[in-house]
Formats: sequence, structure tokens, C-alpha cells
Amino acid sequence: MWLKLTGGILVLLVCSWIGFRLAARCSGRPQHIRQIISCLGSLKSYITYASMPLHEALIQCTHGTSGPVADLFQHTATLLEKNCSLSPQQAMSIVLGDMHGRLMIKEPELEIVNILGANLGIMNRQEQGNYLSMIIEQLENIQVEAARLRDLNTKMYRYLGICGGLAIVILLV
Amino acid sequence: MFNIQKKEIENILEKYIFPVLPPHLVTIISAVPTSQLAYLIEIRLRVNRPLLLVLGSVDIMLNSVGDIVNNLDGAYLCTREDINKILQAISKNSLYAFEQELKMGFLTIHGGHRVGLAGQAIVDGGEIKALKNISSLNIRMAREIKGCGDTIIPYMITGGKRILSTLVISPPCCGKTTLLRDLIRQISIGNNEFRGQQVGVVDERSEVAACKNGIPTVDLGPRTDVLDGCPKASGMLMLIRSMSPAVVATDELGRAEDVCAVCEALNAGVSILATVHGRDINEVLQRPHVGELILHKYFERYIILSDQPKMGTIEKIIDKEYKILWEKG
Repeated sequence: MWLKLTGGILVLLVCSWIGFRLAARCSGRPQHIRQIISCLGSLKSYITYASMPLHEALIQCTHGTSGPVADLFQHTATLLEKNCSLSPQQAMSIVLGDMHGRLMIKEPELEIVNILGANLGIMNRQEQGNYLSMIIEQLENIQVEAARLRDLNTKMYRYLGICGGLAIVILLV
Repeated sequence: MFNIQKKEIENILEKYIFPVLPPHLVTIISAVPTSQLAYLIEIRLRVNRPLLLVLGSVDIMLNSVGDIVNNLDGAYLCTREDINKILQAISKNSLYAFEQELKMGFLTIHGGHRVGLAGQAIVDGGEIKALKNISSLNIRMAREIKGCGDTIIPYMITGGKRILSTLVISPPCCGKTTLLRDLIRQISIGNNEFRGQQVGVVDERSEVAACKNGIPTVDLGPRTDVLDGCPKASGMLMLIRSMSPAVVATDELGRAEDVCAVCEALNAGVSILATVHGRDINEVLQRPHVGELILHKYFERYIILSDQPKMGTIEKIIDKEYKILWEKG
């Protein structure tokens, strides 16, 4: 009896944890996109107004931001500073590979971040500014969609986790 | 003549040049014997053309393992990828931060080494807006040779304290900037015959003082203020107003506004130490703007440099009446 009870509680807890985890990813995605947009806005200012070298601008643009998004920009800056022969795209790819799972972004925004790396530092200030504005605009569109999905799915994942767990427990008992 | 030390060139290459070159080019250049590298003044790279090292007045081609070759067949040919990688390293992936330098056709790396660029110019309204498809690079070694101005200093001082306005005339690659650097240092330090003077340096191309974060990385003496990356004309006047120097030094006069600024500085009681491209006084006289400075005898001393037999050879020291005060024996 005690064994069944313990097992049931464990199954319920695990399923709920999975549900809450999926819900967290769902709600974390628009937050991370928003942080990326904010960093890119600062990056644009540091490039177009201050003409700051890329590695310094990548560090400066994360002020006020923490967590995986700040790490993405800061680690990219560190790699670029340490290894002059790396291009921003290569550095960003390495960092994205290392951060696997920590950054709650999906394929569309990942693709944009990769394209961003490919064109950083090789244009003049004006073009670089225009390019970053375009990237920001694209990310803002994705953010709106991600926010809609968050509102739609967050509660569903939580309930699904708990209810799914309860259903398994009932079926097994 | 400049006495070039092997250790010095090794140090320059290791510290400043190799970090901006792709690893395979470092391997090729490192394979050249140090006895020859001691005379290295330029590294020239052109897309689909051989890698050239200019050693004094001759140049050599290298193959892919660093052996010297005499014909194009065996020579290592530079690729666009090489040029792009070097630009990427020099600009630290921030070409946008070097727009002004790109317009002028050069970048200066740490240590004051100038990297000349050639490629396709983008022209807007008759003015160069930018350079694209850069296909040639010329990395010029800047050297600090203390004492190379010893011969000249006694001719530049009058009354034991006043420095005479001096113009160093020489063709490219004959050591103008190296000499200017040493003259600035010596004037700033002083010696038994004259007291050190306050010197202001307008270093438009960051070559003379090789500043890093505004601080000179070469020895320019204890009484030297450097205005780094500032246009010569406005810089000279700014220094006179702000730092009240006894001597203002600058490199490569040429534009009309530079000449106006020199006239203004000279009439403000400041001595000028400057350089200009040319083979001799007569050649500089033919140049617009700068020629007027000589015509109206603004300078009191002219130093003529050449690269025969070696870079930095002082040919003549001439006074304002064109009388030769010193001549190579």
C-alpha cells in the first residue's frame, strides 16, 4: 500500500515537473527574445554612435541584462577578443553550441541570431545600424508570436503535466 | 644610417605583426633567417600575387614553406581570404570603427605600424566614401631608433634654448617618421647644451607616438604631449592654445590647411618640426601649398634623407638661405 502510494506520488511529481518545465520554456522564450532585442538595441547605439570595437560593444550592450542572453553576448565577445582569426559568426556558433538548452529560443530566432553573426563588423556604421534595425524588427515580430503562444500554452502544459500524472497514477493503481 | 637590431625586429614581429597575420603566413615569414629579417621594412600582400618582403632596397618572394624563390612559379600567392583575415584581425572585426582610416587608405596597428590599403574606391560627390574589395595590403614596420637624430640636434638649436623650425624632407620609406620620433624625444629630454622643451605632437595617423588608449607606447621624452588621431591643422592650433608647447611636431605636411596651421603656429612664437615627402628642396618647392612654406622661408633648417646606401641616411642639413651646413661624407 505504502509502496503504491509513494510510487503514485513520484509519478505525479515527475509529470508535474515535466509540465512545469515545458511551461517555463514556453514563457521563457518571449523573455529571452525580448532580452536579445534589448541587447541588440544597445549594440546598435554603441556601434553607430560610439564606434566602439565589436568585442567591447558586445560586452557593454549586456548591461542590465543577466542570464543566458547576457552570457551569449559576453562569451562571444571574449572569444573574439582572445582569437582574432575568429569571425563573429564562428564565435557566436561556438557559444550557441556551448549553451545548448540554456537559451530558450527556437529555430526561427536561432536562424536570425546566426545571420546576425555573419554580418557583424564588416559593414560601415550606417549600414550596420540599418542591418541591426532590420534584425530587431524581425525579432519583434517573432516575439509577438512567441508571446501569443506563451499565453496559449503555458497553463496548458502545467495542467497537462499534473493531469497526465494523475491519469498515469489512476491507470497504474 | 639606422642601425637595425635583430632582436628589435623579432620583437616587433612577435608582438605586433604576427598577431594580425593568419597562422600559415606567420610560419612562412618565421622561416626567413633573422639576419635577413633584420632589414625588413615592409610586408606586401596582394590578392593572387606573391607575398613580398621588402628588405631595405630589395624585395624577396617566398614559397609556402618560407624559402626564398626567384620566380613566380614557386612563390606563395596570397589569397583574398588572407587579406580578409588580416583586415578582420587588424580591425578586431570592427571595420565600421575605422571608416575615416579606410577613407584615407590606411590603418595603424599597435606599435604604430601602418597598414596601407588599396582596393575599389566608392566615390560619392567626387569624394572617396569608402574602400571595398580591398586587394592589397602593405604592412610597414615602424621602428624606434634612439640616437638616429644625434647628428641633427646641434644644428637645430640656437642660443642654447630655442629650437629652430625644421622640415625633414625625404621620399617614402627613408625613415622620416623614425627620425622625427627621435628628434622629438631628444628635444623633450634636452642635453648638456640645451634644456628640454615642452613638445606637442599632432599624431594624425597614430604613427609617431603609437598611442594605445591615448598613451604613447614609444619613448617621446618627459615633456611631450600627444594629440592622437587628430587632423594636423586643427590639432596644431588646439595644442598651442591648450598645452602651450615650445615646439609642435607633426608628420607629413601636404594639405592647404596644414600649411595655414604651420604659418599660424610660427607666427605664434612656436617652433615647428615637420616632415614632408620629396627628394630635395627643389622638388618640395614645386608642390602646391607646402612649396610656399619653403618659398617664404618659414623653416630655418631642412634635413634631406635618403635610403642610399641605407634607410635613414642623412644627406644634407640646410639652413633657410639654402646654405649647406652639413653633408654626407
